[in-house]
Amino acid sequence: MIQRRTVLQRLIYAAGITAASTLPYGLVRLTMPEARADFSTHLRPPGALKDDLAFNSACIGCGLCGEVCPPRCIQFYQREGGDRANTPYIDPEQKACILCSKCMQACPTEALTEVPRNDVDMGVAQIDRSACYPWVDRGICGACVSICPLGERAIGFKFWNQYQPIVKQECVGCGLCVEVCPHPSLPIRIVKRSEGTVARHSV
Amino acid sequence: MKAKPLFLWRHLNKLRWLTLATVFSMLVLLPFLHVYQTYVSAHAYDLLAPQEKELYDTMEMLTRPFVKDPAEDLDAIKGNTWSGTFFGLKLSDPLAALGQMAAGMNLYTPFLLTALIPVLLTVLLGRFYCGWICPASFLYELNSNFAVLLRRMGLHTGRRHLDKRFKYVVLFAGLVLSMVTGSVLVAAVYPPAVVGREIYYAVALGGFGAGAVFFAVTLLFDLLVSQRGFCRYLCPGGALYSLLGRYRLLRIQRIVENCNDCAKCNAICEFGLDPLRDGFGQECNNCTACIAVCPTDALTFEIKLKDVGYQGYGHLGKRYQREHPADQPSKEVA
Repeated sequence: MIQRRTVLQRLIYAAGITAASTLPYGLVRLTMPEARADFSTHLRPPGALKDDLAFNSACIGCGLCGEVCPPRCIQFYQREGGDRANTPYIDPEQKACILCSKCMQACPTEALTEVPRNDVDMGVAQIDRSACYPWVDRGICGACVSICPLGERAIGFKFWNQYQPIVKQECVGCGLCVEVCPHPSLPIRIVKRSEGTVARHSV
Repeated sequence: MKAKPLFLWRHLNKLRWLTLATVFSMLVLLPFLHVYQTYVSAHAYDLLAPQEKELYDTMEMLTRPFVKDPAEDLDAIKGNTWSGTFFGLKLSDPLAALGQMAAGMNLYTPFLLTALIPVLLTVLLGRFYCGWICPASFLYELNSNFAVLLRRMGLHTGRRHLDKRFKYVVLFAGLVLSMVTGSVLVAAVYPPAVVGREIYYAVALGGFGAGAVFFAVTLLFDLLVSQRGFCRYLCPGGALYSLLGRYRLLRIQRIVENCNDCAKCNAICEFGLDPLRDGFGQECNNCTACIAVCPTDALTFEIKLKDVGYQGYGHLGKRYQREHPADQPSKEVA
């Protein structure tokens, strides 16, 4: 004869145990409250899964990608990342990716998978022509063009022009141009490929 | 008297401390090596600050006998116990594989294979990772010793006993929460993963992350609530290895003929097991502390799938001798 009372007692007991077992996770949640990072300037490392939610569930937060990065450009979200905590990002304004592909080889999971250098898609560079020095006739610069690891295919100068930079189709968004840009307001930045505009012509 | 166990086994505990310390010091050294590698890659020795130059020189001195090109050759050993690469062999924690499976709801075979060797070893040896490798264990054991010091000073430290089965619920809850949130949640509450990555953050990226706070709280929990409490009652990884090690082959067992019921083994056991009454169970991590402390060599390794079960009072103990006067060797009077 099973008493209704004992069944209820057991249910409540089990619920209590289950609630208590989430305590460590709750503690972690307390230490990493909500996302406050400026995600717009943060790129995922090269070869990352396109869907950020998928990336987040694939990444185990082991830090291997960061640990093999020669320029040490890969940082990890901390408290400000919320759910993204311990997953990698690159802030090209501080240190940009050199497309060496070591992180893609090191990643044990499918979060970063190795792709050829030309197929990397971290975004695309976008130049603000109302601020870039050559574009507002404040001198000749070309720093972004000279640093670009992909050369003429990714960034070049405007047709018939010797110094106004133009982003082209092959740009993979590594961010070296952002790191090198001398302008204090960084008129060049990496945006999602869908948001970017690139010159369709080749020079 | 039965045959004594092999004399070497008394000293395994020292070897264990050595391996724990080695793993931990590697976790500290690797980030420094990585920083050194970044300096090498940048060809920037002349631009380094004095402290950075010092780091560069130290690491160069340490690694020069082993590597030709530090920027490339030092990549041979990378990562931590959560996931790492060792001369081309990629190894991951089984909990990482399980947690990632839960979070992504898919199977990524190349990653699962990196956890294969650890899983097999755990099936054979039980929770050996917890006692012999885990960098958090290293700190927790030092913390236990610190607790002993505090007790000697007359301060009370927590010695509560909770239910050992609770950690299985924690593991289950973690996997369910991982499925719900879609991020590998167990990674954030699993001390060895936390320790490995926090050391890297602190050394190479200029500061501890949020995990350091969590780890400090677990240390306090061990001090104030229950000795080695996180490993015993809360650790999801420990829960997984206990389950995997349930039918482990290598077990520490009591030789009842040599035992004198002194209970030193029970006092020393970090996981609160009951070697005195043959209560090893699936949670024993073969750490051999009880073998080292046993004054009468009554504990030994055996290869079997199940514990013997309670064998009664130790034959050298007073209790047994009172109950079995016939068994006692007559004392010869010289």
